[in-house]
Amino acid sequence: MAQILVVDDSSTVRDEVTTFLKNAGLDVISAVDGKDGLVKLRSDPGIKLVVADVNMPNMDGLTMVEKIRSELGNTRVNLIMLTTESSPNMKERGKAAGVKGWIVKPFKGTAVLETFKKLVA
Amino acid sequence: MQPGTPAMNDKPVSKLLVLDDSPAHIGRIKQFCDVNNLVALKPRRGAVMSILRTNIDLGGILYSETYGGSLEESARIAAEIHSARPELPIIVRRETQPTLSGLPAGSQQVFCAAYVASDMDALRKVIDEYIFCLIYPNALLRGISEITTAVLSSQFKAFKVSLETPYIVRDRLIFGELFSLMPLESVWCRGYMMLQTEEDPFLELLAREAVPEAATAFRKANDLLGEITNLIWGAFKNRYIGDGKATAGRQVQVPLLVNHKHKYISFGTENPQLCFRYTLTDEGAGRSLRLYQRFAFNLEWSPDDFTEISHDVAGLVESGEMELF
Repeated sequence: MAQILVVDDSSTVRDEVTTFLKNAGLDVISAVDGKDGLVKLRSDPGIKLVVADVNMPNMDGLTMVEKIRSELGNTRVNLIMLTTESSPNMKERGKAAGVKGWIVKPFKGTAVLETFKKLVA
Repeated sequence: MQPGTPAMNDKPVSKLLVLDDSPAHIGRIKQFCDVNNLVALKPRRGAVMSILRTNIDLGGILYSETYGGSLEESARIAAEIHSARPELPIIVRRETQPTLSGLPAGSQQVFCAAYVASDMDALRKVIDEYIFCLIYPNALLRGISEITTAVLSSQFKAFKVSLETPYIVRDRLIFGELFSLMPLESVWCRGYMMLQTEEDPFLELLAREAVPEAATAFRKANDLLGEITNLIWGAFKNRYIGDGKATAGRQVQVPLLVNHKHKYISFGTENPQLCFRYTLTDEGAGRSLRLYQRFAFNLEWSPDDFTEISHDVAGLVESGEMELF
């Protein structure tokens, strides 16, 4: 059963983040966009942390996290955004959907690993 | 153009092909170029078309009405150049009159303007009209180079990233086989950012980190260029665009045209493009990669409205670090 779901349309980012977290002993799966993210979360409700990009085709990351709370009714999973976006409005929208943290790319695994581990514990 | 880090207030330059045989005037033309941010390329006679093939990021051509030895030969060569590269303005130096009247039949459509050596101020005006017609704020030039250099350095940690002075291009040709396009929308600009590079050197650089399977290597290259584009765009947006609410509802669009056979891309405008050229060097292996970054502000350009987004410095979290809510 996976612990973390990484959602990003870029395979470069998915590979980088997934590989880092797996090497740290975590169970990770990935999705290619917001729609795919909802499908993966629906089929694996044991996931404890979602790390998602904002700018993705088909369904963006903020819409996805809003639907995780509203349509999936999943208020338990922790949500972190990993994105190039840093506008206050976007962060407010994320906060309103229950996002716990915001990371502006590029990903620096060592800076966030301990927090990720706490969020899946 | 020398590689390195351009000075903070470097104005863009432009590469011009100089096709002028006159020993009496070539010194003045060179001095004019030096003073007016122009980089002169002077090929030997007979090598013009090969120079054009190897330089696809030119701003224009300074020509002479007697290039090639006679008015008729000069007109023939100019027509050949214009047919190959119609986007490049050809400015002709004439002996006595600074207009296009009296030139051989058909030549007037080939040249965009004329000048005489005794009035280089008039040439300056033509250069401003056809090449330096868009003003780019220094803060924007500085910011683009800082952002892009930082992104490239973060993605290619083992390589040295160097950058040349930004320059203005009239050419519409695509460098290499791999390019990305990203729309840019703000209250002061609407257009596209384009990154162009060659696939084989890019794959060689990727192989330094981990050798991708041959069949899927190009997809990794595609994806990495896409992510680089995304990172640059994100930083550009955070610094110069903000939330973009002010641009909501702007429906004007024009078709982009790509002709793969001729490696040609058009944004539907005659406007010149702003170009940055980066070189990524693996000094240990002696390999390098060229990356061209072009900005085509084809839909809107209002530098007077250019602004940088101010951020609350106290609240800033470094990229890669998590801001907890």
